[in-house]
Amino acid sequence: MPLLRVRDLSLTHAGATHPSPSDVSFDVQPGEVVLVLGPSGSGKSTLTLALNGLIPQSVPADVAGTVEVRGRSTVDTPVAELSSDVAMVFQDPDAQLVTGTLLDEVAFALENLLLPVAEVLSRSEQALRRVGLWERRAWNPDRLSGGGRQRLAIACAVAMGSPLIVLDEPTANLDPQGIDDVYDALTDLVASGDRAVILVEHNLDAAMRFATRAIVLDQQGRLAFDGPVAEILREHTEELIAMGVWLPAATLAGRMLRERGVLDAETPLPLTPEELAGVVNGFGTLSERSETTRIERAEGGSKSSPMIVRSRNLSVKRGRAEVLHGIDLDISAGSLTAIVGANGAGKTTLIQALAGVVPPPRNRITIDGIDPGRASPRDLAARVGFVFQNPEHQFIAHTVFDELAHGLRLRGASDAEISDRVGEMLSRFGLEHKADVHPFLLSGGEKRRLSVGTALITRPAVLALDEPTFGQDRARADELLRLLKGLRSEGTTIVIVTHDLQLVADHTTHTVVLADGRVHAAGPTDELFATERLFETAGLRLPALHRALNPQLRGLLTETTR
Amino acid sequence: MTAITSPTATVDPYAPGAPAPARRFLNHLNPLAKVGAVLPAMVLLIFVRDLATPLWFTAIAYALIVIGARLTARTAALLFLAVPLGVIAIGFGFSLWVDASGVDDTAPFLQIGGWTLFSGAVQIGFATALRLASILALALIGGLTTTGPDLVRAGIQHLRVPYRIGYTALAAYRFVPRFGYELSVIRAAHRVRGQHGGRGPFARIARGWGYIVPLLAGAIRHAERVALAMDARAFGAHPTRTERHLVPFRTRDVVFIVLFITASATIFALTFPWQL
Amino acid sequence: MPKTRVLTTRVLLICAAVGVATGLVSAGAGYLSVPVSAAVPVLYGLILGSHVLPGIVAQSLLRVPGVALVAHVLAALVSSAFAPAWVLRYIGTALLIGLIQEGITAIGRYRYWGLGRFMISAVIVGIILAVPIGLAVDLDRFEPWARVLYLVMFIVGPVAWTFIGARIGASLRRAGVATR
Ligand SMILES: Nc1ncnc2c1ncn2[C@@H]1O[C@H](COP(=O)(O)OP(=O)(O)OP(=O)(O)O)[C@@H](O)[C@H]1O
Ligand SMILES: Nc1ncnc2c1ncn2[C@@H]1O[C@H](COP(=O)(O)OP(=O)(O)OP(=O)(O)O)[C@@H](O)[C@H]1O
Ligand SMILES: [Mg+2]
Ligand SMILES: [Mg+2]
Repeated sequence: MPLLRVRDLSLTHAGATHPSPSDVSFDVQPGEVVLVLGPSGSGKSTLTLALNGLIPQSVPADVAGTVEVRGRSTVDTPVAELSSDVAMVFQDPDAQLVTGTLLDEVAFALENLLLPVAEVLSRSEQALRRVGLWERRAWNPDRLSGGGRQRLAIACAVAMGSPLIVLDEPTANLDPQGIDDVYDALTDLVASGDRAVILVEHNLDAAMRFATRAIVLDQQGRLAFDGPVAEILREHTEELIAMGVWLPAATLAGRMLRERGVLDAETPLPLTPEELAGVVNGFGTLSERSETTRIERAEGGSKSSPMIVRSRNLSVKRGRAEVLHGIDLDISAGSLTAIVGANGAGKTTLIQALAGVVPPPRNRITIDGIDPGRASPRDLAARVGFVFQNPEHQFIAHTVFDELAHGLRLRGASDAEISDRVGEMLSRFGLEHKADVHPFLLSGGEKRRLSVGTALITRPAVLALDEPTFGQDRARADELLRLLKGLRSEGTTIVIVTHDLQLVADHTTHTVVLADGRVHAAGPTDELFATERLFETAGLRLPALHRALNPQLRGLLTETTR
Repeated sequence: MTAITSPTATVDPYAPGAPAPARRFLNHLNPLAKVGAVLPAMVLLIFVRDLATPLWFTAIAYALIVIGARLTARTAALLFLAVPLGVIAIGFGFSLWVDASGVDDTAPFLQIGGWTLFSGAVQIGFATALRLASILALALIGGLTTTGPDLVRAGIQHLRVPYRIGYTALAAYRFVPRFGYELSVIRAAHRVRGQHGGRGPFARIARGWGYIVPLLAGAIRHAERVALAMDARAFGAHPTRTERHLVPFRTRDVVFIVLFITASATIFALTFPWQL
Repeated sequence: MPKTRVLTTRVLLICAAVGVATGLVSAGAGYLSVPVSAAVPVLYGLILGSHVLPGIVAQSLLRVPGVALVAHVLAALVSSAFAPAWVLRYIGTALLIGLIQEGITAIGRYRYWGLGRFMISAVIVGIILAVPIGLAVDLDRFEPWARVLYLVMFIVGPVAWTFIGARIGASLRRAGVATR
């Protein structure tokens, strides 16, 4: 009997018109590591919720077809009973914590199952040791990093002894260190071969380490492919890209090389950075050519554009401690600048000071000709748009139209002008038919576009975004980047804070590296990425691709991915 | 990372009461015993009108706390600074509202122009203030020596509070620092939108109103996710659950209740504060 | 078949979220109550009225039996952890107000969730709170007009806060929160 048996499964959320997933069948055997792929909205999360009966028992939805765990139907076996067979790890580590200490947290499910105290303790100890958290069992989980908390969630799953562990984007909210933490714990778990894992993940680079099989859902939620992961990624590359499914960075790079004729069509596409390095190592000579063009381009970019943001000797206090120490910074008009740095380096503090979100000290900053330390919020809003990480935080009005009109009304624009400019913005962001909808009822991607729209409606010269792609799926991140590119070509200067160095390498013109509240390095992105050990000394880790390749080959790569 | 390291709470509601030496006996009593012992006196105090009875009870409560609980700088400030100041403020405050016609036969306490504050009014004001203070002081006996989780567990183990509600409360402690942080982000976000407009209480209320929907909407979405995670971990599977942290009700708890109620009765008998 | 509950984990946790958020208001009210009692005791009803919020917001948002009481109890338990000195006050008012709000909707067999019903419970809450507190502060000794004002405020307070709470619930429903 397979561990999990899914037959002709269609799930329709209450109020939805189409099922997603739709008519899906597959089996999972012990020891398998199944990667579930599919574009956003294809029903991956919905599918995972059905595997332990949360759908339909906790989340109302229409179920057609069957899901059986060790022969028990998930429709009429209580979730609680299924929990010892199927354990879940969700995306937001914060939303899975219930108790006050690590030990209580792992024991929570076992206590609910009425196990005797001695067994609760021994199982909890085993699980915590397995993820390396036993020493910290008395801690409040708040003290753990995001990666640590996600490891705790894995320990909770392990403690229940479930032979099947389902993880829905367990690393989407984590920084690079946290992602490594989680995958180390998972690699460990899989290595012992005693459990099956079902993993929904957009970040394939890390998952390639141990996935054995891939299941791909298409946009309509139908099963598109099912088979060994390497075979599917290599043989259906084009279909997957067309679907909007993300591939390992190495595969994308290999595909570009193939398009440019550097790699012949016979060579299988690389799936990991190591494989890519092996494939590309033959092309050392090519990289010289690209090296020269790259430098020319960098110079061309920074030639004569005036500086639009300037800070001199900027120090900022938060609470009693000084967080930023004497920052000197210039950002040229029309650039797309990324601010990067390890956790706590002061990135958020810096971008908030520059944009005047938290009033900075006076006479230290000029942005588009004004001092955010003195300017009124209204003047500031006219010159700098700030986009918060969670769009909902900045919505003020009850309709999309009013949301966009707000900034104009504050400045006393006439009704005619307002309806003109709002109309323009609505059509630009594809929100025309949503003008009268409550902003909270938009989809995630639409909310993001609206939040950028509200920041842009007053036509500010500078747009600042704090971790705009954090916790978003790749498709939405990509949509946002296309949007930013368009804005930049119209002359808007863009500053973003991000943890995603692959994004920085691929899309930005300039980079500022912060370390411990000081500028560690600043300059054109290409140059910084070409400098040996610059990011490592700031406590960052380069994207997997960059780590696998030497600087020369890297030059070739930035060339191709642009 | 900004979104997931909510700033460490200044108060950790889960923190176990730091291990108290045996001498601090209040820390070793069942929370329900401390509530049950003081409750009758608190209710009766509402009907008391003299000065002596509330003074007696305040003294007993203070003595118990000073002997039986660990005094931090904060609790000391509460007991010996905040409460006396509150009594003085409320005492005078209330005496201003007392109907002068009932007390105009007492000596004047203060005279401003044609208006007189009679000492009888001051006495009534202070009796009220002391009464409120004594009720508070009794509540502090349990309040200063009980942690939230212990109270919840005691309720589950002895008062048949359904454990699903109790454990929901424990999970909800985690919301507090998170919401506080979200609120500060929402405020900054609205400020950036130029929503700053205007000072004064009305502009402030209007602004505050704007924070409510985003704050609650985010809070409720988070709560829904936590609920799924709890369901997935067999929450509510059985009518009871294994309890590793027992909050026993022992002989000493009974002794405490009996002693305290006897003492209360004695005081009420001695002062006999009701004019029958 | 798995048993179906009225108070699912989801409903319980939403009540907790409502309780915590409205608990922020109660905390503010707690701080205000001493200076207000000292300066203008007759306005105390306005402050105390804010204690109706958890139940009203939960009821007008979820429209499910039991949520008012649960939201109140959870709000009280959470506030108690952060201000243990007020445990009894929090739990007492929570049970009292929660039961009244539940009772009024239960009389309508949980079919009516309009503002009118909420207002009835607000008035009853005001009356029931005014009596013991009036005794505790020795209201008989107040100037007659002050006595009237004091009692009126005990009605106005809960009514005003109930109105606010119902508006919050309606706004949230309009934003599509927690409605399925
Ligand atoms: N609670 C819900 N109520 C109604 N519809 C929903 C609900 N949750 C998801 N949906 C809809 O169901 C479909 C599948 O959503 P699901 O979240 O499963 O997609 P996904 O593949 O996990 O996407 P992503 O990659 O963005 O996480 C989408 O069209 C979504 O809008
Ligand atoms: N309100 C505050 N009070 C006290 N310290 C603060 C406050 N806000 C931030 N800090 C501290 O300032 C430092 C910089 O914080 P900041 O949020 O700017 O870092 P960051 O680079 O954005 O980090 P992350 O990657 O985690 O978002 C951190 O050490 C943080 O603990
Ligand atoms: Mg999903
Ligand atoms: Mg940050």
